[in-house]
Amino acid sequence: MSSERPKLGPDIPKVVTAWLSATGRVVYLTKDRNWSEDLADAEILTGVEANDILAWAAKDQTRVSDPYFMQVTADGKVAGRETIRETIRARGPTNHPMFGKQAGNN
Amino acid sequence: MYRYDEFDETLVRERAKQFRGQVERRLKGELKEEHFKPLRLQNGVYLQLHAYMLRVAIPYGQLNAKKMRQLAMIADVYDKGYAHFTTRQNVQYNWIKLADMPDVLDVLADVEMHAIQTSGNCIRNVTSDHLAGANLDEIEDPRPWCEIIRQWSTFHPEFSSLPRKFKIAVTAGETDRAAVRVHDIGLHMKKNADGKVGFEFIVGGGLGRTPFVGPTVREWVAKEDLLSYLEANMRVYNRHGRRDNKYKARIKILVSELGLEEYKRQVEEEFAAQNTWEKVVLPQEEIDRITAYFAPPKFETLPAVSAAFEAFKSASREQARWAKNNLRPHRTPGYTSVHIALKQQGEAPGDATSDQMRAMADIGERYGLDDIRVAHEQDVVLAHVRLDDVPAVYAALKAAGLHASNAGLGSDIIACPGLDYCNLSNARSISVANEIQAVFADPEFEDDVGTLHVNVSGCINACGHHHVGHIGILGVDKKGEEFYQVLFGGRADEKATIAAIQGPGLKHEEVAPAIRRVIDTYLSLRRDGGEKFIDTMSRVGQAPFKEALYAAA
Ligand code: HEM
Ligand code: SF4
Repeated sequence: MSSERPKLGPDIPKVVTAWLSATGRVVYLTKDRNWSEDLADAEILTGVEANDILAWAAKDQTRVSDPYFMQVTADGKVAGRETIRETIRARGPTNHPMFGKQAGNN
Repeated sequence: MYRYDEFDETLVRERAKQFRGQVERRLKGELKEEHFKPLRLQNGVYLQLHAYMLRVAIPYGQLNAKKMRQLAMIADVYDKGYAHFTTRQNVQYNWIKLADMPDVLDVLADVEMHAIQTSGNCIRNVTSDHLAGANLDEIEDPRPWCEIIRQWSTFHPEFSSLPRKFKIAVTAGETDRAAVRVHDIGLHMKKNADGKVGFEFIVGGGLGRTPFVGPTVREWVAKEDLLSYLEANMRVYNRHGRRDNKYKARIKILVSELGLEEYKRQVEEEFAAQNTWEKVVLPQEEIDRITAYFAPPKFETLPAVSAAFEAFKSASREQARWAKNNLRPHRTPGYTSVHIALKQQGEAPGDATSDQMRAMADIGERYGLDDIRVAHEQDVVLAHVRLDDVPAVYAALKAAGLHASNAGLGSDIIACPGLDYCNLSNARSISVANEIQAVFADPEFEDDVGTLHVNVSGCINACGHHHVGHIGILGVDKKGEEFYQVLFGGRADEKATIAAIQGPGLKHEEVAPAIRRVIDTYLSLRRDGGEKFIDTMSRVGQAPFKEALYAAA
C-alpha cells in the first residue's frame, strides 16, 4: 500500500500490471502479450522467467507505462501486502463504486 | 478579479499546443514514459492509481461563473461528471484520458485557465484568504499581491528548477484564514509603527514528513521591496537547498539547519547586495494597475438588517442553523459571505458533481456578483451576497444538495483523496472522513460541539493537513492493513501549532468510535460559555483526551 513496491520472490504467483498510456486505465498482461482491463485474463507467473516477461513489458512503452509485479493467489486473485491498494486499483474507488470497473464503467 | 493579459493568453495557448505535440509523440511511442513524465507534470498531469489526474490552477482560488461552468463541462465531457476541490484552492480531475488532455488544456485556455506550475519544483499556485475583500478584519485586500507574485514567479527562469516545490500564501486579516505559517513563505500583511502597510515574512513552515511552523524572518517589509525580498529568500534557498535529498530539499529544512539567525543574515546580505538594476522595484502605477482589477464591486447602500433574511431565519430551525454556521459577516451593511460546504454527509470532502458546479456558477452569477472562490477547507465561498438574497441562495443550494450546514464544524472535514485515488497513499482517507462525519450526523450534537477541525491525510505527505487539525488523522500501512494515527492540538490559524501524535494507530473501524469518546471527553471538561474544543484541550492538556482515545469502548 505504499509507493515502494514489495519484492516478490520467484515462488510467489504474480501478474504484470501497468497503466495504458493512452487512457491511464489499469491493465494486466495476458498470455498472448496483450493488455487486458480484466484481472481474470492475466497470465499468472512464477519462477525466474517472470523477470524476463516484466523486462519485456517494460519495453512495451508505447502501449503502457510503469509495469510492475502484483502478487496474486494461485488462482489469480489479488493477494499479499498490497491487497487493499490493488483491489481498489482493480475495481475503482470505494467511495464511488459507480465509477469503478465493478460497475462496468471504467 | 485577476485579469489575464495578452501575454498570458499567448503563453498559455502556446503551451497547450506544445503539449499536444508531446502527447502525440508519447502515443506514437516516440517518447518513453520516463522522458514524457517531466513534460506531463509541468502541465499538471499525474498518473494516479486508476488513471491520469489533471490539476488545474485556480490563482488564489478565484473563479467566476464562466470558469466554473467550463470546469463542469470538462467534468462531463472528459471525466466522470465530478471534480475535486483541493486544500491548495485548485481543482483536480481523476479520470481524464491522456489523449484528451490537449483538448482539455485548450478549453481551459478558452476561459483563461491552465495547469501550469501545478506540479514540479517551481513556485506553485499562490493561495490566499477566501474572504479577501469582504471580511471585517483585513487591513487591505491581499489578492493584488498574490497576483503580483503570480506574474513575477510564472516562468521566472531562476525559479524553474528549485530544489523542491515552493508554496506561498498571503493573508491580510487579523485572523489567518490562509494558513500562512505552514507555507514555504507566508506573508501576513501588517502595519508598521508609522501605520504603513507591508508584509511580515514567515519562512520555512510546511507540513509533509517534517512539519514546521514557520518562524518570522522579518517583521515588516515595505510593499515596494516585496519582490526583491522574496527574490533574496529564493536565492539563498536556490543556493543551499538540498537537491541531493528530496526529503531535505524544502526550505523549511534549510531554515532549521542553518538556524533562523544565520538564515536571516544571509537573506539580508543577499537583499543588500542586490544590484539596483536587478531589484524588482514595483512602480506605483503597476501596483495601481493590478489593484484596480480587484476594485471592490459596486455594493448597494442597504440597511444592515434585512427583513427577508430575518424572516428566513425564523421560518425554520434548519435555515437558522445554516445561517448561523455558513454565513460570515461582511464589511458592507446588508451583505454577507456564504460558505458552501462541499461536505455533505457521506460524500468525499471537496468533491462536487458537474450539476453542483453549474448550480454554484448560476447562484454566484445571479446573487454573488459573479465572485466564486475555492477555500482551503475544500469548500466554495460566495464572498458578496445581499442578505435579502440569502433565502433564494439557500433554496438554490438546497436544490443542488449543497446546503450542508456544517462550515467550521466537526463534519466539515478536510481530507485528501487517499488510497481511493492516490498512488502514494498508505490508507483510505475518504471513508474514514465519512465515518467521522457520521459521529456528527445529529445537528444538535454537532452544534453543541461547535468549532472543530478534523483533518485526514492518507500518508505522511500531509495533503489533508493532518498536522494542523484540532484532531488530525494520518493513514499508515501496517503489514498491508490500513491503520490510522491520531494527532491532537494542531491549528492552522495565527496561532499555528503542529499537532502531536498520540500513540499507536487504530484500525479503520476503530477511528470514528474513538473520536466520539474524545468529543465526549471534551464535552465533560469544557467550561461554561462555549469554550472551544481546541481551547479546552490547551487548558487541560492532551492526557485525558488520549486516555479516551485508547479506552476500549
Ligand atoms: C495527485 C495526488 C497528489 C500527490 C501525488 C501529492 C503529492 C504530495 C507530496 C509528495 C507532498 C509532500 C511534499 C513534501 O513534503 O515535500 C504533498 C504535500 C501537500 N499536498 Fe499533495 N499530493 C496530491 C494531492 C493533493 C491534494 C488533492 C491536495 C489538496 C487536497 C494536496 C495538497 C497538498 C498540501 C497542502 C501539502 C502539504 C504542504 C506542503 O507542501 O508541505 N495534494 N503532496
Ligand atoms: S497525503 Fe498522501 S495519500 Fe493523501 S493525497 Fe497526499 S500523497 Fe496522496
